[in-house]
Amino acid sequence: MPSLISPAERDYILKGIECNIRADGRQRPDYREVILETGVISQTSGSARVRLAGGTDVLVSVKADIGPVLVDPETGEGADKGQIICNVECAPSASQQFEGRGADELNNELTQMMTRFLSHNTTSLTSASSTTAPSSTTSHNSNGAGGINLSKLCIIPGEQCWILYVDALVLDYGGNLVDAVFMGTRAAIFDTRIPKTEVQDLGDGNFDFEVLDDAEDTEIVEGREDMPICVTLNKIGARHIVDASPLEELCTEAKLVVAVNRSGELCGLQKGQDGGIEPSLLLEMIQFGKTLGQTLIKQLDAKIKAEADADMVKRQNGQPVVKLGFFAQ
Amino acid sequence: MAADRKRVAGPESSVAPLVEYPIDYQSWTPFTETRHDSHRQPEDLRPIYLKTGLISEANGSAYIELEKTKLTCGVYGPRPVKRAGQGFSDRGTLNCEIKFATFSCVKRRGTMRDAQEKELSQILSQGLTPAVRLELFPKSNVDIYITVLESDGWGSCIAAAFTVASVALAHAGIEMLDLVAGCSASYIPTSIPSSASTSESTSESSEGAGSITPQIFMDADLEEEKFQQGSIVLAYMPSLNQTTHVLQTGKAEGAIISQSVEHCVEACNKIFAVMNHALLESIDQK
Repeated sequence: MPSLISPAERDYILKGIECNIRADGRQRPDYREVILETGVISQTSGSARVRLAGGTDVLVSVKADIGPVLVDPETGEGADKGQIICNVECAPSASQQFEGRGADELNNELTQMMTRFLSHNTTSLTSASSTTAPSSTTSHNSNGAGGINLSKLCIIPGEQCWILYVDALVLDYGGNLVDAVFMGTRAAIFDTRIPKTEVQDLGDGNFDFEVLDDAEDTEIVEGREDMPICVTLNKIGARHIVDASPLEELCTEAKLVVAVNRSGELCGLQKGQDGGIEPSLLLEMIQFGKTLGQTLIKQLDAKIKAEADADMVKRQNGQPVVKLGFFAQ
Repeated sequence: MAADRKRVAGPESSVAPLVEYPIDYQSWTPFTETRHDSHRQPEDLRPIYLKTGLISEANGSAYIELEKTKLTCGVYGPRPVKRAGQGFSDRGTLNCEIKFATFSCVKRRGTMRDAQEKELSQILSQGLTPAVRLELFPKSNVDIYITVLESDGWGSCIAAAFTVASVALAHAGIEMLDLVAGCSASYIPTSIPSSASTSESTSESSEGAGSITPQIFMDADLEEEKFQQGSIVLAYMPSLNQTTHVLQTGKAEGAIISQSVEHCVEACNKIFAVMNHALLESIDQK
């Protein structure tokens, strides 16, 4: 993928967007076709693959693991909560600019963005990795911005909890990575099944637990419907577009990522790139992103539900559920 | 992994020392009618102390204090890029590095730059670049090094970083289109949901914090941030009326965001006056 763009190409894209005609024939608020598939990797607790018609291909996996609770030394919070640890990696094969350490900055940016929008832990400044201690405020806000109910992920308060490792792998770069990663994460979390645990009270404040191995009897991730997705708005000239292709991304003066959940609440906002946005345009873009995001969530949920229902029907009829495989359209 | 041999770690069972609070200490909650600093109103910013010329070696430097938040900034440049073989660029580049001193936060931070600091550095570069006339120094690089000496509120640190970097850049004589002022605000609920005890209302409150409208507290400090539902940091160029960076976390309704953006823009205009004053003073000194 080119990291340079000629002035002629830039001018073509700029003038086209003014007239509401983009290089591939779309209009400014149009998304490319999205192909979404869940349950593609058997070794995970949940997985999803998102493909955008321009070439962006993202694979998101969720692995549920058991680990010790993370208690914030300052506030004492977190003893009764599970954790979500996110990581985004762009495969070096995805684009020429990702070779070697070229993708490091982008990986870090996407990882921090995911952590920020899904866990809302930014007020505690930790020195270690990208994980941050849960910093919930009062008792009614145990969900955090990511919507996921972390209290439900706790097994033994103060000791053991479920840790959801969300890993996104970018297999191909065709522009608009942020939206694809978040769509994939939402689908993967929907697909995630966590084994049930049985806690035994040994007395004296000691507890022991056992993980039930039943593949049929698993739990869903509670609060997954409230997970946000992102809409990336790129300001080019005086207009803004969504779902930019790589060339359009190179023309972008300023980028605004709006994270919105299904109730229309904003779960995060981040501006990127080297340009400025007038405050009035900023508010307009936020509003636009919010409305678009809510529509997107509805469509996404409908698709995921349809796929899950179809799989259920197949299982009930005794037919094997076969996933399409990596090259299928 | 090689242990840090310069530091002597205690025995494995040691714990961090506790801070001793006086017996009558009451930690602040937002459910009282005042802010953590009782002299401040929700729309008040902390008083800013801003001075240039802290670092003699640097081309430009500045120091900012927002009561307990203290940052220093040194600007070196324009100077030639280290590896000129990287390819010609007709625009200069801005390299921003922020580092939280290990003693700056409640929990000791590492000596190496971690992922969060790397991202903040990127955010700062993106927020400052629109203001600097990079086309005037091709093949050159401007380095901005920010050290956070003491942090009292995450949002205020980032906002102060924008402010101090702009002043240091101006002090270094680098041509800019405008100064970038940074401002932060927190969304803090000031009332406990009144129906928290009845069972029917737990379903209401479990839908999310939409049942209580949080109040916007400008420039929240660390104690106040513990109770926040969300926060926003805005970097703004007052003369050009352009926001160069916005970062919002936590859940918030659209109306609250619009309101807080307006408040932040107003506050940035006030901070702009302080920045100008500091720069005029620095000229008088020279």
